[in-house]
Amino acid sequence: MLRSLATVTHRTIVSVLCAVMLITTAGFWFAGAVAQPVIVPAFKGEQCVADTNLMRSDHMKLLDHQRDDTVIDGVRGAPYSLIGCVDCHAQRSDSGAAIRVDAEGQFCQSCHAYAAVKIDCFSCHAAVPEQARQIGLLPDNPMPHAEINRVMSLLKSTDYHAKEQQFFTTN
Amino acid sequence: MQKNNSSSPQTDKSLLARRRFLRNLGLLGATAVSSFTLLEVKAREQKANTTGAVTAEKRWGLLIDTSKCSSGCDACVRGCNEEHGIENEGNDATRAQWIRKIDLKDKLTGSESSVPVMCQHCDSAPCVDVCPTGASFKRADGIVLVNKHTCIGCRYCMMACPYKARSFIHETLTNQKPAAPRGKGTVESCTLCVHRVDRSEDLQPACAVACTDEAHSAILFGDLNDPQSKLATKMKEIGASQVRADLQLNTGVRYHGL
Ligand code: HEC
Ligand code: HEC
Ligand code: HEC
Repeated sequence: MLRSLATVTHRTIVSVLCAVMLITTAGFWFAGAVAQPVIVPAFKGEQCVADTNLMRSDHMKLLDHQRDDTVIDGVRGAPYSLIGCVDCHAQRSDSGAAIRVDAEGQFCQSCHAYAAVKIDCFSCHAAVPEQARQIGLLPDNPMPHAEINRVMSLLKSTDYHAKEQQFFTTN
Repeated sequence: MQKNNSSSPQTDKSLLARRRFLRNLGLLGATAVSSFTLLEVKAREQKANTTGAVTAEKRWGLLIDTSKCSSGCDACVRGCNEEHGIENEGNDATRAQWIRKIDLKDKLTGSESSVPVMCQHCDSAPCVDVCPTGASFKRADGIVLVNKHTCIGCRYCMMACPYKARSFIHETLTNQKPAAPRGKGTVESCTLCVHRVDRSEDLQPACAVACTDEAHSAILFGDLNDPQSKLATKMKEIGASQVRADLQLNTGVRYHGL
């Protein structure tokens, strides 16, 4: 009698221990179940501003470099502009309105959520491209035509403009 | 154990040798430093040539003709707000203001004038001196800016500015313009519309464009370093002064008729 009771408690303890172990290590056994990030394809353009593999691994360095160049040295029209990333990578909803590039599941968010990266860039920087029209560089912005033409002719020579025009004619 | 003040000829000689050695060391150091500086300047120039970085060759500034500025007109302020997406965010006490219209009255003579006051883009800017992170800085071409990527929002620069030219962003902002990223927790002020003038000086800052559109043309933008520039010739013709010239900040914004 005493002996069988001991076996029962023994069994219970072992099975409880097993259950606890399984539960606490579940993350490890079922890691394969964590969803891979879905990278939405670029909205515009055939290729990125640099080799795709380089962009995957080093886009943050390119951005950092460019922001110092632009803010401190006034270099404009270089390729790694954040305005450019948003312009090509922001998706459009069914109604045609631009979706924030940092919204859930969007280009600048899904990878980052997966890698536990948090960026604050879009608390200041525009996350949708529509407003880029207001800079007065793009064809269908609300500025008067004379002004647009003047700006366009001024910018004809810069590569920034060439790029921009390329985006908009391919689209 | 008393120290002997009158030195022997022997110690005099070694003292001399020591002095010569120190002087030579100093000279060597000075040459090294100056050649490094020269090299750096050269490197900067080269960088400028190849990448379009701004240089000290130009110094951007404004000439504000107060005789053409009318009280009650705030076209420049509206033009600036429109350009940078400054809306009626926050409350009256904390709203961002890059340009303030100020009405002045001389109590003795009764003469009145109205002036826009923005960042004066000082040559020796107090805001740059006090910034603990180097975020408040002067570009090579004289434009004083906040690098918001390194601004920690301490607001020392706001305290230091004699012109009350800077604002702090207290609230979360939305719908910023691509050309003018702005956000909570950082200080901001007039940028002389760098995003426009970097592309072409003919684009002119938004306030100058708005003033011209209003047919006042009280604000002229240009290169202070170029004696041939429209700005410099106009300044020579009509004369201009600095606000609080006594502070000797050598401002980039000059006023005629104050
Ligand atoms: C507190 C506001 C703020 C935040 C946050 C911020 N920026 Fe900026 N950024 C600015 C301002 C202001 C400029 C200058 C814009 C100009 O002169 O045209 C700028 C310019 C840039 C530029 C050069 C202009 C362009 O689009 O090519 C890059 C690149 C850039 N930022 C990248 C970033 C990245 C990456 C992050 C996030 C890690 C970031 N910024 C976060 C305010 C901010
Ligand atoms: C001309 C439009 C364009 C611009 C501007 C642009 N991209 Fe891209 N980007 C693309 C395209 C198209 C691809 C897909 C390339 C491919 O599949 O090989 C891509 C791919 C990428 C990838 C790899 C995604 C993956 O599949 O793993 C990253 C990361 C990326 N871009 C980041 C950026 C950043 C950051 C910027 C701003 C500095 C930027 N892009 C600017 C068009 C653009
Ligand atoms: C292919 C996946 C992927 C895409 C798409 C992607 N990122 Fe990243 N990003 C990463 C990873 C992974 C890191 C972290 C790298 C590390 O910490 O070493 C990162 C880091 C960053 C950082 C540095 C963050 C920090 O705290 O230092 C910035 C800035 C950044 N990304 C901006 C962007 C922007 C802007 C976009 C959209 C245009 C974007 N990324 C799209 C994968 C991606």
